Amino acid sequence: MIGAGIKRGTAELAVLSVLEDGPLHGYELARRIEQQTKGALRFTLAALYPMLYRMEQRRWIRGVWETSDNGRRRRCYRLTPAGKKKLSPLRQEWSELFQALRRLKKVAHA
Amino acid sequence: MRDWEVLVSERLGTLHLTPEQRDEVVAELACHLEEVYLEQRAQGRSESKAIATAINQMADWLELARKISLAKRGEESMINRAKSVWLPGIFTVTVSIGWLELLQRASFDSFKPWFQTSLPMLPFLLWVITLPLLGALGAFLSRFLAVESRSRLTAGLFPPIAMFGLLFLPEIWSAIFERNGLVIRHPLHFAFDVFLWSILPALALLLGAMPFLRTPKLQEA
Repeated sequence: MIGAGIKRGTAELAVLSVLEDGPLHGYELARRIEQQTKGALRFTLAALYPMLYRMEQRRWIRGVWETSDNGRRRRCYRLTPAGKKKLSPLRQEWSELFQALRRLKKVAHA
Repeated sequence: MRDWEVLVSERLGTLHLTPEQRDEVVAELACHLEEVYLEQRAQGRSESKAIATAINQMADWLELARKISLAKRGEESMINRAKSVWLPGIFTVTVSIGWLELLQRASFDSFKPWFQTSLPMLPFLLWVITLPLLGALGAFLSRFLAVESRSRLTAGLFPPIAMFGLLFLPEIWSAIFERNGLVIRHPLHFAFDVFLWSILPALALLLGAMPFLRTPKLQEA
């Protein structure tokens, strides 16, 4: 089970990574992350939307209301150029962290 | 089928956002709950169970409202928080010091010192008695900009917080790290001073600030 602190740190990376594949609305985004991480990252309503709004304030993502084929309006998020730019160093940081942890014997054998 | 927007709007209560921003948030959260509901129905759950699962997505709506307000207001909220705490805080400190000074000069000098402090009793008592008004004023001014009741509380209690930080904290620091004997030799006297100049004024200010600390109550759907 992944702890809350690590989850918080990885949540933004997860959102940016998933949105890299295309725009999604909030519910779909949360479901996609949950499926792709096999349930390790699961967003509650209280965590998901404040985070999306924060990321929108930073201009990493942009939400736009769209009407689907069945006539339902939903707010879809897509990655902005600033978000794409942020994704690369974020991935690098996490990759470096995991590599560093792997180098530790105790963690490697945990 | 249930009107999810009405439900979300009622449960969220006050959001410190523009009406347009609020409508957008309500619509988006309603969409989310509706998705949960439709998925539950598609999986064969009963109407009531699907509704319950959707509603149970969120336990603390007021906390969600607070988080969303802060996230939506972004950097602006940091500036507002500074304004909502510092400006009313400095105002209440200035008025409280000026008011005490005025009371002390208003021919009360003949009164005897109280419990070995250099404090004339009557001006001090009058000052403490009038402090709730000042606490109310600080919290009232802060309410215009502060989303959180914590900011309003800090603004209302600013004078004793400043007093403690500027006068007593250095003495405690000095006693611990520089072995300054004053606090160590007279701990009761020191504690009494802290009570008179920080705790008692804080309680009086809190009394006045309390009506302005309440957040709007949640309306049950």
